[in-house]
Amino acid sequence: MTDHDFELKLQAYLDGELAAPETAMMEDRLGRDQEGRLLLAELRNTCAALAGHEAEIKLPETREFFWSKIEREIGRQEQPAPAAAGVSWFTWLRRHVLPATGIAFAVCLMSIWAVHRGKISGQFAEMELASDDVGAYTYSDPQQKMTMVWFYDRNDNSQSTELSPLGNVEEE
Amino acid sequence: MTAFEELVARHRDKIYARAFSMMRNEDEAVDLSQEAWVKSWQRLKQFQGESSFGTWMTRIVINLCLDQLRRRKRQRTESIEEMNEESGGVERQMPVVTVNPTERLERGELRKRIDQALSQLSHEHRTVLVLHEFEEMEYKEIAKTMACSIGTVMSRLFYARRKMAVLLANLKSEELK
Repeated sequence: MTDHDFELKLQAYLDGELAAPETAMMEDRLGRDQEGRLLLAELRNTCAALAGHEAEIKLPETREFFWSKIEREIGRQEQPAPAAAGVSWFTWLRRHVLPATGIAFAVCLMSIWAVHRGKISGQFAEMELASDDVGAYTYSDPQQKMTMVWFYDRNDNSQSTELSPLGNVEEE
Repeated sequence: MTAFEELVARHRDKIYARAFSMMRNEDEAVDLSQEAWVKSWQRLKQFQGESSFGTWMTRIVINLCLDQLRRRKRQRTESIEEMNEESGGVERQMPVVTVNPTERLERGELRKRIDQALSQLSHEHRTVLVLHEFEEMEYKEIAKTMACSIGTVMSRLFYARRKMAVLLANLKSEELK
């Protein structure tokens, strides 16, 4: 048994929380152990000093004031349900329906955009840009991530029948 | 409601005193004792009369105080004092107080000194001492209330008593000076 085990058993002996066989062993040891007896006396004095000598503390508020606070709090917590339900219905709408609507709207927008994009990328999109003197043809291939632009002189009759790239080839 | 008001009037000082003895703060003790009364009103149907109404109410306020102390403990960083709660810290090496420091003290003076000494204990030591000495709870009951092991209760109680003995002895030697 360590010193601390003995100290705790000594305390349990004082508090009457030691089983009968251990009580007999403790009494036997105390008969031979001067330090143990001194420690027991100290613990006993402290217990005796505390017993029945708790400070008399009074609530620093008048009976009426203290009761009025309790009564008000009870009343507040027992508020009729309809009022609370009205608030919670609105809160429920705000918390669940509005975000859900927002998400649905965003999904709709994304779907429309995706369908539109699919239509464009499904066929090889070709754009024609025209000006008075210079003509241009654009070819876009999303799979290759490539856009080609043909420029040609509208006044040059030799190129009017067969187009050949004159200018830019842009890699996206 | 009138009957409940009468119960509050009859037991309010005792309930407040228990909250104050654990929290050592007037405002917190007032708030917690008020909360205990509101809670008891809501749970009045659960009161079976197995113990007295005062005892039942005291258990409610003790539990509220313990909850508050746990919340506070979670918020603060671990200190050396806390690490020494179970291991005893300096109390481990303290020599035994051989003279009874409260002998021949007048009742009022004794109460005052005990209150002073209690205020210098840590929350854990004070709580276990209050529950054992003033509420007369057994180790097992304290362990259940404080949600800790019986060994922890015994250790805390031992060091709390040892520290009380030293604090009371110091107060006596200050008086002699």
